[in-house]
Amino acid sequence: MDIYSCISCGANLFGTNYVKLPCPACGELIYRCKRCRKLANSYRCENCGFTGP
Amino acid sequence: MIRDSEEVYEYLISPDEYLAAGVHIGTQVKTGDMRKFIYKVRPDGLYVLDIRQLDERIKLAGKFLAMFEPDKILVVSARQYGQKPAKMLAKITGAKSIVGRFIPGILTNPALADYQEPEVVIVTDPAIDTQAVQEATDVGIPVIALCDSNNLASNVDLVIPANNKGRKALALVYWLLTRETLRAKGIMDFPYTIDDFEAEL
Repeated sequence: MDIYSCISCGANLFGTNYVKLPCPACGELIYRCKRCRKLANSYRCENCGFTGP
Repeated sequence: MIRDSEEVYEYLISPDEYLAAGVHIGTQVKTGDMRKFIYKVRPDGLYVLDIRQLDERIKLAGKFLAMFEPDKILVVSARQYGQKPAKMLAKITGAKSIVGRFIPGILTNPALADYQEPEVVIVTDPAIDTQAVQEATDVGIPVIALCDSNNLASNVDLVIPANNKGRKALALVYWLLTRETLRAKGIMDFPYTIDDFEAEL
């Protein structure tokens, strides 16, 4: 089983406590944990440098 | 096209059209999440949003939506002035829309007749469409939101900084979003005008 980590905080992601989305700029998959989403922590695409949300 | 000292940035439409629709007009309240999208504060206390960042975000959102199947996109608007633009976006791109009251369980309760399984949700105002944002979060669906200066970016994956209260502003943002989504899919034919997206008074 693949284990993904949150792009903002690095926490390991299990179950449904995360969101997977393609980077709006380059399409690279981004994983965000529930906590970082709730706190609106910024994320940065490792491929293209796009900063969200 | 605006010529800066070093770079040339090409807007989707002329900045004057943005200003005429009032997409840059924020509220008298500012949140920390929206600070980076705020250009200045007017003497009357209204925060002014940066139209260049809005333009960039609409381009990105168009590309982002084009990555999904049209029928896997859900547009939600409880706000009155956002209902017609949301329906038009859904009609033209082939997406689904829910306007008015968002019945709890639409995204989470398979027993409901209206149950849907979209892959991305667009909301007009995260402070009003809270039920949609919460359910999308519960099932792990990315959320795109039109956020004004007073909105929080909680549970939002892509913020489009814009005035989400104005009739003309919502029409313009949704019109551009629809056009950019189709363009990103290679469909250049777009016969609709901003008036087609504008809600009646």
